[in-house]
Amino acid sequence: MSYNGVWTMAETNDGKLRTVAFELLTRGRKLADKLDVDLSSFIIGNNVSKEEANKLIEAGADKVYLMNDPRLEDFIVENYSNVMVSLVEEYKPEIILGAATTQGRTVLPHVAIRVNAGLTADCTELDIEEESGNLLQTRPAIGGNILATIHTPKHRPQMATVRPKSTSPAERVSGREGEIIELDFDPELLDGRAKRVDFRTTEGEDVNIVDADTIVAGGKGLKKSDNFEMIWKMADILGGAVGASRDAVEMDWISYPHQVGLSGKTVTPHLYIAIGISGAIQHLAGMKTADHIIAINEDPDADIFKVSDIGIVGNLFDLVPMINERLQEEVEKVEV
Amino acid sequence: MKIITPIKQVPETSNVKMDEETGTMKRDGVESIINPLDLYAIESALQIVEEYGGEVIAVTMGPPSAEKALKEAIAMGCDDGILLSGKEFAGADTWSTSYSLSECIKDIGDYDLIFCGLQATDGDTAQVGPGIASFLDIPLATYVSKIDEIHLAKDTTYTDPDENYITVERLLENGYEKIKMPMPALITVVKEISFPRLPTLSGKRKARDKKISPVNSENIPMKKEYLGLNGSPTRVVNIDRPKVTRGGKLIDASDETKYESAIDELFEYMKENDLL
Amino acid sequence: MNGYKRRLKRLKYNPVTEDILKELVDIVGEKNVLTDEAKIEAYSHDETPKEKYASFPEVVVLPNSTEEVSSLVKLANRELIPVTPRGAGSGLSGGAIPDHGGIVISLENMNKVIEYDFGNMMMVLEAGVITNDVQEDLEDEGLFFAGYPMSLESCFIGGNIAENAGGGKAVKYGVTGRYIMGMEVVLPNGEIVELGGKNVKDVTGYDLKKLMIGSEGTLGIVTQATIKLLPKPTKEVALLVLFDDAKTAISTVPKIMTETGIIPTGIEFMDKLAVKTSCEYLNEHLPYEDCGAMLLIEVDGADEEQVEKDYFKIGEICEKNNAQEVYVADNHTTSERVWNVRRNIAEAFMVVSPEQSLEDITVPIASIPDLIPELQRLGEKYDIQIPCYGHAGDGNLHATLVKNPDHTMEEWYEIEHECLKELYEVTYKLGGTLSGEHGIGSKRKKYFKSAVSGEELRLMRMIKKGFDPNNIMNPGKIFDLED
Repeated sequence: MSYNGVWTMAETNDGKLRTVAFELLTRGRKLADKLDVDLSSFIIGNNVSKEEANKLIEAGADKVYLMNDPRLEDFIVENYSNVMVSLVEEYKPEIILGAATTQGRTVLPHVAIRVNAGLTADCTELDIEEESGNLLQTRPAIGGNILATIHTPKHRPQMATVRPKSTSPAERVSGREGEIIELDFDPELLDGRAKRVDFRTTEGEDVNIVDADTIVAGGKGLKKSDNFEMIWKMADILGGAVGASRDAVEMDWISYPHQVGLSGKTVTPHLYIAIGISGAIQHLAGMKTADHIIAINEDPDADIFKVSDIGIVGNLFDLVPMINERLQEEVEKVEV
Repeated sequence: MKIITPIKQVPETSNVKMDEETGTMKRDGVESIINPLDLYAIESALQIVEEYGGEVIAVTMGPPSAEKALKEAIAMGCDDGILLSGKEFAGADTWSTSYSLSECIKDIGDYDLIFCGLQATDGDTAQVGPGIASFLDIPLATYVSKIDEIHLAKDTTYTDPDENYITVERLLENGYEKIKMPMPALITVVKEISFPRLPTLSGKRKARDKKISPVNSENIPMKKEYLGLNGSPTRVVNIDRPKVTRGGKLIDASDETKYESAIDELFEYMKENDLL
Repeated sequence: MNGYKRRLKRLKYNPVTEDILKELVDIVGEKNVLTDEAKIEAYSHDETPKEKYASFPEVVVLPNSTEEVSSLVKLANRELIPVTPRGAGSGLSGGAIPDHGGIVISLENMNKVIEYDFGNMMMVLEAGVITNDVQEDLEDEGLFFAGYPMSLESCFIGGNIAENAGGGKAVKYGVTGRYIMGMEVVLPNGEIVELGGKNVKDVTGYDLKKLMIGSEGTLGIVTQATIKLLPKPTKEVALLVLFDDAKTAISTVPKIMTETGIIPTGIEFMDKLAVKTSCEYLNEHLPYEDCGAMLLIEVDGADEEQVEKDYFKIGEICEKNNAQEVYVADNHTTSERVWNVRRNIAEAFMVVSPEQSLEDITVPIASIPDLIPELQRLGEKYDIQIPCYGHAGDGNLHATLVKNPDHTMEEWYEIEHECLKELYEVTYKLGGTLSGEHGIGSKRKKYFKSAVSGEELRLMRMIKKGFDPNNIMNPGKIFDLED
């Protein structure tokens, strides 16, 4: 049997699908249509209902493979990898897309090795090559300074992780039909040696900057940790998360999970506000794909202004409190 | 305790300036350094060996000049460096690189842990760490932000997984997850895990006097069809250099008299684009 | 604004009238004459504390050529209006501040390279060229300009010459003046003169060029300079060396040169307070807690192996002198990390207290060990922090008085004055002097007389009068013409 079909990995959290699962369907739909093949999603998890799985059908999947098991409640890479390898061997999908999340970037490389597949990380564009029908995968590299387009001419499946928020989620059409296939599997597949022994959530601490629509980020220009208060305040008013440059994190003004950039996180929010960030190439690599970028910095030559839509050159200690005040007024206006 | 740290030599890019005209970075005369995230892996490995005894061995695959990265690792405190270097490895993608490094690590043998940086600053793929674990079929934890506990079996053959394990904390999107794994195991680390030390003069002395002879597929049995470009499933089709600049608007608020109008303009933009 | 008017009366300068403004516009064009208070604010201060030293000009003009500068100065000299020449405004002694109002002549528009003369390894520049841009310009040629100071991002070559700036590489390369071959100067009477040129040797009469270098804009305005270039070293290595105490660190400095026969590019010293504050500010995890002082030693060269041999020799001398640890930074990443500790000291103390007096005393290097305990004593006496850091390799130390947040501003000004007087006395006693590289300007003027002999002062006053009989060129800087 030859390899056929486009598959997406649908990540869940507490039995609920994550937004990125729908983003992958937007990507997958386009590819499946071009190739004229089925689009399938698979869910590896626990307590994921058929109703939940049906959302993927509504959003464009033709088939959903649903695998529930208490031993799949936690993401243990070996277990997930075993399950995925068995799926690949059984169904032979031609293309597998995963999200470039901590989960996707862990399990897909593990699987790719075992099935001798080509895997491209953190893609921002996907397409089908006209003549060969190969998957064309475009990804930024070297700090976003080049865009490399990669294909996998001889190996199948072709695998890619896709950067979250690099496309909009597929819209759900209620009543759209498809097939949900609940799979049983060999318990021996779940013999992973690692165990999750604890989990401590940081939700509510606003550190999930990857999923945030608005990020207000501070850098070295804030001079000291106390001054980060006004960043938190602005984020609070805008209902956004707080990001930071490497300098700010290294100076211990804010913790590492807030770091945006090459050695931190890559973010693509709708709005990114950079305050007192000069814009080292590493930082720009992590945020320059945001839809709107606003920068406030004293130095008119700061590189951050090269990627910003609006740049304010001035003293941030004067300006930011004034902006916060105005924001507060605007927000209250909206609420009234 | 034997810890292996696979490292990568990458171009130094932290101080790279933008080329105003092309909007890309200037790369002329850029020196080569150890991938910055690998330094955190080296530091964590050194700390463990300082506590439990043993050795840290740095491994790299690259051209003969990558010896410099290994010497720097030795100057930081690693005990030895292994350079996997040969024409047959040229053009390897992450699949093939993972294969070659895993065979080299098998050849070293008797390791308890493998520490990798999360990803390299040139490729940014984060795939080689998981790839090596997959080839070696050992437990894997990525995005490790803390080593919680290392428990060494009294039995020196270390066969009992309940007695010989490592517990680590992983930094995820929504929290910290604690994972317990029997050793040998592989972790990829994020910056939160440690502060890399600087190389010392005594370390430099040790590195200077250390002879590093490159090894290749002649010395270590490997499947030739898995090596280099031939063994790589992926191929680069095209390289584009996107412009970084957006050409946005700069508003002068260099003195108090301009604050109001600058903020007005900012809010106008935010309203126009529905950002409030 | 009232301050300078009061002084104007005393010094009998004339104000800038509407008619004079028209003449200024005729010379440089309307857009190059600034009178708007918001715009000229930037020209009222340099890097010294604004509250204490700022003074507004009446008008700022931005000439585009030497001829325009000449016309401006002729006008000012005719009308007896004070002129203050200005570079990038990154000075640390108030040299570019118009203490008596009048006209500020900013050379920011004169920023062109006139000539690349690689055959002679020289360049001819206008005074407003940013010195750091010269380095970037030369990168592909394998050349560099060795006479540049630490504020490398912003300062102009003209300002470097006027202040004879120093910096972190002076141990090996000396200061700015060593690399100035020739210059074009507009004298206080508006005449244009060429001093020096491209000749390596020149003893034709008095060396007026050398007299201009470091004259802080009181003898004329440098409009162009011919600078000498050197082959750029291809390898640089920094050693960060930790010592038990300042004395051990400093006693190592002369040995580095005498016992190895190697002249490092720079030897920077940081005392415990400076190190601790900077490391805490940077969240740097070096083992600084038990360290009493650090040296940052840089070596450079064109041959990587030679540089390696050199740093091993120097490092081993440090080890022999009981260094706790010698860190080696031989790539950009590690070298940035160790230099950051040194570069961020001032900024780190800004967080403690923005009120500071950054000093620039210089003593013979063998006297540094005697200076350190004195700083400690003064700090205790006046209940302030006095971190000490700087260019130990040439004896130039930036002892910095940091205001105690518990003191009021009045108390602080009093303490600053008293403590500085005492600090300078200690410095002279050790054979040292007031300023190594920042200059006297207005900031240290009141202490200047204590640093020179009466005869020296008399000669300097005669020189000034000879150049500038109407005393219009940056008046009130360095010294007054009468007591």
